[in-house]
Parts: sequence; structure tokens; C-alpha cells
Amino acid sequence: MRFFHDTHIQFMKYRWHWIAISTALNLVALGLIFIGPGFKYGVDFAGGTQLTVKFKSEPDLARIRTSLENLKLGAVTIQRFDEPERHELLIRLQNPGQEGDFSARMMTALDREFNAQTASMRLNLQGVDAVRDGLAQADPDSVGGTFDNRRAHYEPMASAILNFRKEKGILNGPADLDGVKELSSNAKRYLADNARFGNFSILAADNVGPAVGKDLRKKASYAVGFSLLGMLVYIWLRFQFQYGVGAIVALFHDTLIALGVLSLTGREIDIPTIAALLTLVGYSVNDTVIIFDRIRERVKLDRGKPLVEVMNSAINQTLSRTVITSGLTELVVIALFLFGGGVINTFAFVLMFGIVVGTYSSVFIASPIALGVSNFLEKRKHAHRRR
Amino acid sequence: MQRKLMWRWVLIGVVTAAAIFFMWPADKKIHLGLDLRGGIHLVLQVNTQDAVRAEVDDAMERVRGDLSEKGFAPALLQRLSAGDGFELRPAPNTPAKTLDKVIDDRLLEFKVDRGVGLTATLRPEVTRAIRDMAVRQGLETIRNRIDQFGVAEPLIQRQGIEGDRIVVQLPGVDDPARVKDLIRATAFLEIKPVVTVAPTQEALLASSGGKLPEDSEIVSGDVEDLEGRITGREYYLLKKASVVTGRDLRTARRSQDTYGQPAVSFTLNPDGATKFSAYTGAHIGDRMAIVLDNKVRSAPVIRGHISDSGIIEGNFTVQGAEDLALVLRAGALPASITYLEERTVGPSLGRDSVIRGLRAGLVGLVLVVVFMLFYYKGAGINADVALILNAVLLLGAIGVFKATLTLPGIAGIILTIGMAVDSNVLIFERIREELRLGKTVRNAVDLGFQRALSAIIDSNLTTIISALFLFQFGTGPIKGFAVTLTIGLTISMFTAVFVSRSIFEVLLSRRAKLTTLSI
Repeated sequence: MRFFHDTHIQFMKYRWHWIAISTALNLVALGLIFIGPGFKYGVDFAGGTQLTVKFKSEPDLARIRTSLENLKLGAVTIQRFDEPERHELLIRLQNPGQEGDFSARMMTALDREFNAQTASMRLNLQGVDAVRDGLAQADPDSVGGTFDNRRAHYEPMASAILNFRKEKGILNGPADLDGVKELSSNAKRYLADNARFGNFSILAADNVGPAVGKDLRKKASYAVGFSLLGMLVYIWLRFQFQYGVGAIVALFHDTLIALGVLSLTGREIDIPTIAALLTLVGYSVNDTVIIFDRIRERVKLDRGKPLVEVMNSAINQTLSRTVITSGLTELVVIALFLFGGGVINTFAFVLMFGIVVGTYSSVFIASPIALGVSNFLEKRKHAHRRR
Repeated sequence: MQRKLMWRWVLIGVVTAAAIFFMWPADKKIHLGLDLRGGIHLVLQVNTQDAVRAEVDDAMERVRGDLSEKGFAPALLQRLSAGDGFELRPAPNTPAKTLDKVIDDRLLEFKVDRGVGLTATLRPEVTRAIRDMAVRQGLETIRNRIDQFGVAEPLIQRQGIEGDRIVVQLPGVDDPARVKDLIRATAFLEIKPVVTVAPTQEALLASSGGKLPEDSEIVSGDVEDLEGRITGREYYLLKKASVVTGRDLRTARRSQDTYGQPAVSFTLNPDGATKFSAYTGAHIGDRMAIVLDNKVRSAPVIRGHISDSGIIEGNFTVQGAEDLALVLRAGALPASITYLEERTVGPSLGRDSVIRGLRAGLVGLVLVVVFMLFYYKGAGINADVALILNAVLLLGAIGVFKATLTLPGIAGIILTIGMAVDSNVLIFERIREELRLGKTVRNAVDLGFQRALSAIIDSNLTTIISALFLFQFGTGPIKGFAVTLTIGLTISMFTAVFVSRSIFEVLLSRRAKLTTLSI
């Protein structure tokens, strides 16, 4: 099976068209970034406190917002995490300029708002030790003896309950306790009557102080900048200067468009997003290098042929590889996007777009730019000689 | 040739066996990161300024003591706003000699500027040493507390350019709020003589003539009813000088008060016991206050001579009493701490991430494997073997290097599946090209591998370069991504080039005159 049979597509002939299209795309991306809507930084870079909360049923967002705004700590944003039927929310408190333990205060505020009933045992919020101690205190099985003795008796039950919660994400109510086999019937009855299940459980809490956020922003831009520089040097050394320029222009092009897409879709920029951008940088250059490698080889074999034609045939010869590899990587990334879950969704999203753009730029942008620089250098050399 | 081929397969066999040995069983040998196991990651800052201020306060008290002893209590003695020094204006009739002696005796670590009075600032190297010491003690105290709390595989490290940050990573903790409180608790215990008690501060001041005596201070405490509910607040006038402090403790443990409520009992070390027994023996009938973190927990009347033990009562849960005993045993923090960063991942989110990551990886792998079979027929099997071997070796490598697998790390593995197959695609396309040019199978295979090699190396190296920068930048989970991507791509050069080649060689050696190749 073959997708392409000795193609002779005139990629280079229309190079000015591609460059024009890409310039336009890049201008649009710049506009999206600098004029609007601009970047939306996630909690990693903007700082702030973010809770990932799983609710029993779809919660009233206005209530969440009011209860947290009453804390007077900062603006509240709420967004969905993962599929709607999971009832999982990312609740963020933007409190730049402050350091401290805000997640605990947010949790207390939510607890007060959504869990009216007060109880010493809160099965969806406490850890094994607290559940065990609560049972040991009440002693529904009438074990008696010292406190430590009772603790030993209830310890396995408590960890079974917590394991069950770990699998389900949240305990919905007393009926869920039937799924915990280790629980004695007395303990089950006691918990059903006295413990509070509550309406939510906390899946994750992040609190990034302004100092750390600033630090990360600096580190991220260094990482992206230096990795672009590293590519330029590497390709310059392995190929020639003009190819290094071609690859770097293509990289800037890809990164810029990816950033433009991010600001258009309003997805938040977080550490995994930076990881995706750097991967994109690596991937895009990878594609470009394969084509340059073929050009390098053909230049030696077809002496005397104009560079434009050499480039064109090199792109054609590597075309099926380019399409197959990009297609396969894209398939894998789509799988990640669809099945990978909420945490790496944006990561997969950036790559999904990035691979398409990266492949396009490797074929349509990198070589024309390298050709342009090459011609320019050539002209200057001639001018020197004539003088 | 045959012999060389055999050695190739021996090598492949050994490497594979080693990889399986190091990765199996995966749940034991592969180390999962906090984002997959659940746990807590904290970055805290030790406010070393506190320790500097304490040092300055100490020096001020000594200077005041020395001068007052000679009858020249200073006219003004106050800390500089920067916190690292103080200003002294001596009483007008203080002889220069007395002042000189105090400076020589007490202010060795200070730079002293004399003008109208004198300004003493801590020498920079002393300040630096105090700050460093505070962080080191803080680290030690936190480590002690975590050890006593009992967390498996904790990571507690100093970090930051100024070295005043501490990173704490605790996998598998299911009650983050409790751990955060445990770490942050200053747990500074003091036992002080009570002068008087009153419901308001004004009443307290009135009882001592409207002015706070120099050697005393006001500390508040909660009022509780019989069932331990807080009903109000009262104020204590206490002597500044403690009878004993937390430093005099030998041990502390959870116990019960006379009503069977949780409490913390402590015993003193010999030094503390001497001071305590002397004081209690002489003050039977007086009250003493048990002050924790500048709050009166209880103020019992001394009924008799107590030698070396005591009890802290007051509205504890069992867990609360246990935690307080723990931090008292582990020692007080030398300075307060602030949380700069907190990342808590609950166990259920971690588990969910693992399951979904594996599912996405499996779907991706199946898609790629099927495509390769479809597109390259026989050679597709070759590529698929290489691909699956790549995944096995990658996991083995993660096991050997004790690298931590994170969620982005799983994404890295999945991405490697897509990118690793690239080397095979490059080689196969090249072989096809050579075959089309009319080369024999033997020649085409040789040339295909040979000519694709430079492209494979260059393309993988560029990706690895960007992964290295990512590693440099990396915070925990992202480092995991950089690691799996780098290892994966390195291994792909082995599997796609060496292993695939070996499979072709077996085919070619079986039938010396192979005229067609399924590719």
C-alpha cells in the first residue's frame, strides 16, 4: 500500500504564496495575543488558589461564587473539569500578591455553604486517622478497653471506607457503605445515622504564591527561548547557517500560531502547556530536519542542479514519510485528547493543533526560507568577489 | 555472518530480559509521582527575619539587664525598623566606662555606631549565619515532625537561591490539612507565673495601676464551659520570664485529664525539672499559666510541689492532643513559616489519571500497530515488534533509573509511541525507494538502513535537546515528561535501527536469494 506515487508537486514554485499565508496567520496570532483576547494564565503562572472539587450532583455555581467572594480574598472563577456528568469543577481564587494557606479557608467556606449539618465525622473530607478515631470514640461494636485498643479494631474499617472513596471519587450517601465489606453492621448503622457525607469531596488543591508564579514564568520563557537557540545552533552545526534560519523561522511560526490558538480558545496556560509547546518545538524541528537531511544528500548527488529543484524533489521524496509519521503521531495525540482525562487535556490539545501546523511549516515554510537566506548569502558573496 | 547475527539476538534477549526484570511487577518497581499516587507537595519559606529579630531582642534584654543592674536603666531602648539592630539612649548620668563594658561584653556580634546614643546593628556575616541556622533548624524540626507522624518516603529539601525555602513532598497523605498544620505549628510552650486575671484588658491594667509593669505582659486565653465549649475570652497578666519553656521538655504524649478528656502530658529534662520543682515548691497556692504559641491554654493553681511533669488541658480532640504532643516532642520552629506553594492531589484523582492515561496509551498503541500492519504488511510486523519492545524497554529503564512516572510522563510515553515509529517509517520508505530503483532486496535493506540513519539521529537529537531544556525548567511532573521522552527516543534508536535490522537479517539469511520483500 502506498499513499503517494512518485509525486512531483511544485511545493517551491508557490513559495511566496505559502509565506504570504503564513505571515497572515502569524499576524492574526499576534493580534489574538496582544490585542485580544490574550493569554489566560492558569494557577501555575498567575498564582492563586485552585480547588478541584467533585460534587454529588450539579451544584449551584452562584452559591459557590457568593460563599467564596464573602471571604474577601479575591476574584472567583469557576470552570468545568472533565465531562459534565462527573460534576467536577475547578474553583479558583485569584489572590495575587498574597502568600499563605488559602486552600484551607476555601474548603471551610464551601463546607459551611454546602454541608449544613455539622458533625464530627465528615466522611468525604477526612482521612483514615480521623474516621478511625471517630469510630473508636463512639465504639459502635462495643469493643471496650483502651482507646488504642479500639483504634486497632476500627482501623481496617476506616481504611476500607477511604479505599472505596478513592475508587468512586465521592461517597454519595449511606447506601454507598454497603459496598464496603469490611464494615461491621453496627459501625455501618452508626455511620449512616451520625456521620455526615456532605455534598462534595476535594480531588486536588493547588495554591501558588506570587513569588513562585513569577519564578515559573521566568523559567518557562527561558526554557522556550534557550531551546529555540539550542535548535538553531544544532542545525547550524549539522547543516548550514541558512538551514538553521529556515528551521527557526518555522519554529517561531509554529509556536506563535499555537499561542494564538490558545488565546483564541481561552484555554489556560499552565506548566503542562509549556511542556506541550516545547514538545511541539522538538517535533516540528524533527520534521524539518528530515527534509533538510534529504536536501543535504541530494545536493551532493545532483551537482549543478539549482537548489530550488533539489529542494522540491527532496520534499516530494520525503512526503510519504512526513504524512505517515505526522498522521500516526496525530492519531496518538487524539487518543490522548479524547481519553487522557482532564489534567492533560490542554497538553494534548496544543499538540493536536501543533502537529498539523508543524508539519505544514516543515513542508511549506522551512525550505523556502532556507532558500531565501541561501540566495541572499550567495548574492553577497558575488558582490564581494566583484569588488 | 550467522555468528554475528546470533550475538545480535543474544544482546536483544539480554536487554529485554533485564528490562522485564526491572519493570515487573509494575506496581512495585515503577515509582509513581505524587500526581498519580496522591499526596502533597509544599514549598515553604522560613521567615528567617524572625530569628534575626529574636537575636536582637535577646541582646537588648541583656543590655537592659546589665545597665539596670548598675542602676542606669536606659532612657530609650528600641529595635530598628529593619529588625537587625537597635537604638540605645543611655540614662544621662551613665558613666562611659559602664557603657563601654556593656558593649564589650554583650555586643560582640554587633557593629556599634556611637552618636548621641548608640546604634547597634548585627554584622552581615552574623545575620547570614543566623538566617542559615534558622533554615537548618527549621528543616530539622520539620523532618522530625514528619518522621514521628510516619509518612513513607518523604522528601524534605532545602531549595531556593537564598536557601530559605524548604520543599516537602509527602506521598499518599490523605489528610493534607492536618499535615499542613503539623508542619506549620510553631508549638512554642512556656510556663509563666500569673499575676492577675481579668475579663478585659482595661480591667487588667487598672488592677496594676493603669500601667503595664516592665517585667510583665498581657496574654489572652479562652474561657470554656464544663463541656469544653468556648464561651468567651479572658486576659492574663503574666511575668515575662518563663519558669520553663519547650526547650526544657524531655518528652510529651497524649493522655487524659481528670474528666477523661484528651490532654497532653509532658515530662521535663533534669535541667527543667530543677527549675520547675524549685518554683512550684516556693509558690504553692499561686497560679501558673501554660502558654502555647502566645495563648494561655490553662492556668492551674499550684497545689503542691511538682518535680518534673505536667499536663496541658483544654479542648483537645484525640487527634489534636496527639499532634500537639508530636510537635512538642519534635521541637519548636525557630522562625515562622509561610506556604509559598501547595499542591495536593487526592488519591482518587491520581488513580483516575493512571487509568485514563493507560487507556489513552493503549488506544494509541493499537491504532499505530494496526496502521503499520496495514501499510507495510510483513515489515509492519517487524516495526510492531520494535514498537512494543520499545515500550517494554522504556518501562524497564524507568525502573532501573528509579525515575518517577508522572501523568505528563505517561503522556511522554504515549507520544514516544508516535515518534518512535518514525524511525521505522523512515527506514521502510527508504527501502521501498531503493527497491523501486531496481536494487536487490539485500542491497535495498542495507542502503535503506544506511541512508536513513543520519536523518534518524538528527531528528531524534533535536527533540532530545528540547526535552533537556524542559528537564532544566521542570518542576516535578514535567521533569517526568522530559525523562520519559528522552529515554523513549534514545531507546527508539536501538529498537528501530538495531532490532528491526536484526529481524530483516534473519529473513535475509533464511533465504539467501530473497527476491521480494513484504513492505
